Amino acid sequence: MNLLHPDARVVDAATGDELTAGLIDRAAAELAGERLLFLPMPSTVPAVARYLAALRLDIPVVLLDPEGDHTELIQRYATDEVHPDLALLLTTSGSTGNPKLVRLSRSAVLANARQVAESLGVTGDDVAITTLPLFYSYGLSVLHSHLLAGATVVLERTGIMQRDFWTAVDEHRVTSLAFVPYQYEMLRRLRFDPAKHPSVRTLTQAGGRLRAELMTDFAQRMSDAGGRLFVMYGQTEAAPRMATLPPDRLGDKLGSVGLAMPGGAFAIEDDEVVYRGPNVMMGYAESAADLVRGDEQGGVLRTGDLGRLDDEGFLFITGRLKRMGKVFGVRINLDDVEREFPVAAVAGDDRLHVFAEGITADDARALRTKVAEWLGTHFTGVDVRPIEALPLLPNGKTDYRALEASL
Amino acid sequence: MTELQRLRDAFRTALDLPADAPVDDLRYQDNEKWDSLAHMSLVAAIEDEFSVMIDTDDVINMSSFGEAVRILGKYGVDVK
Repeated sequence: MNLLHPDARVVDAATGDELTAGLIDRAAAELAGERLLFLPMPSTVPAVARYLAALRLDIPVVLLDPEGDHTELIQRYATDEVHPDLALLLTTSGSTGNPKLVRLSRSAVLANARQVAESLGVTGDDVAITTLPLFYSYGLSVLHSHLLAGATVVLERTGIMQRDFWTAVDEHRVTSLAFVPYQYEMLRRLRFDPAKHPSVRTLTQAGGRLRAELMTDFAQRMSDAGGRLFVMYGQTEAAPRMATLPPDRLGDKLGSVGLAMPGGAFAIEDDEVVYRGPNVMMGYAESAADLVRGDEQGGVLRTGDLGRLDDEGFLFITGRLKRMGKVFGVRINLDDVEREFPVAAVAGDDRLHVFAEGITADDARALRTKVAEWLGTHFTGVDVRPIEALPLLPNGKTDYRALEASL
Repeated sequence: MTELQRLRDAFRTALDLPADAPVDDLRYQDNEKWDSLAHMSLVAAIEDEFSVMIDTDDVINMSSFGEAVRILGKYGVDVK
């Protein structure tokens, strides 16, 4: 599979390194004969070269956080036997306790890169910059869609709270920025003014629900500066994008995550959002033996989200079937948290709230650190509250509604 | 409480440090807890504590405890 349009460029903002055909060829020569590549993926030119070389050689890649310890995951999935359609394996959550992988075929990855490029109107004149890790499905889809469209991707390892990031945006005349909800909170804190970065034409948002008020605010800031905000919806299981809200409909469809990707369709079945499209995964993997399995989904993804469609096909997400939360764009299974720690967990806005009975303030701080480490997330995303006794329903189960109401 | 104590407490709360942790020599990203997310909480905590609105450039430039003291000076808060 080749995602790389001949005009596409990848350049490292800090070092000036640029991706060349020679670098990919060299990486390919090193990888020849491999059957499966576990690839720690920092936002650097050598890592991108290795990734593209593996895709070109049809070697499936497991993308990993370069900061993490993946000994256990590698032991669990190492194998020489892989299905011939398999291109990419991604983790579904930050949790180290549940390293289930999503199996994506070459055709699904390619289809979604095309769908994203088409729905956002990415062209060879666009310049994206890394705002999210490349081992995370949203960050990766920015790379894929821009490489396919012959655009430029600037690799930048700082973040929006640092001067170097904005210097790189201006120097490389970046046109498009991709953010998850907490980064919009940061941008507001920074009083982001698109007029100060005139090359920026497009903001995209995915990785969880953005508060409607922030959505309206940033749509306004962008349209005042002649730009656009795209609200999107996806899951790693769909490689990952399923819907995009056209910017000119954001006002009258506020709260919607948009229309299905080109070639995809939504249906609501028993209140659950079901997506059908060429970008749906082959299935999950929980062991090395699963990597030989073929397509088990038939292009159908039951999202686990509850939602409704309006008469024009705009999707509105109303809740989750399972008890899930999102912290900094990463999915968290609340039941997993409760299995690991003696607590009750509920999801807030980009935050995990944990209630623990009869603990002290010091215990709470220690628990916060432990929970955040276990989830592989930042401690500010976890809130631990001591509680005298958890509220119970008549059937003896935890009353989560009452806990949510107490937030 | 003095301005200095209030600023120290704002740092400790935002960076999730114990109540007696020394903070006067902290620098952005030297301390493992002071990253971009904690930085956002820190700026929010300082703005709330001192009732100021910190400009974009000052948010980005606030790279140490000492810088925070200097920047607050610009907003009329004399930290000592």
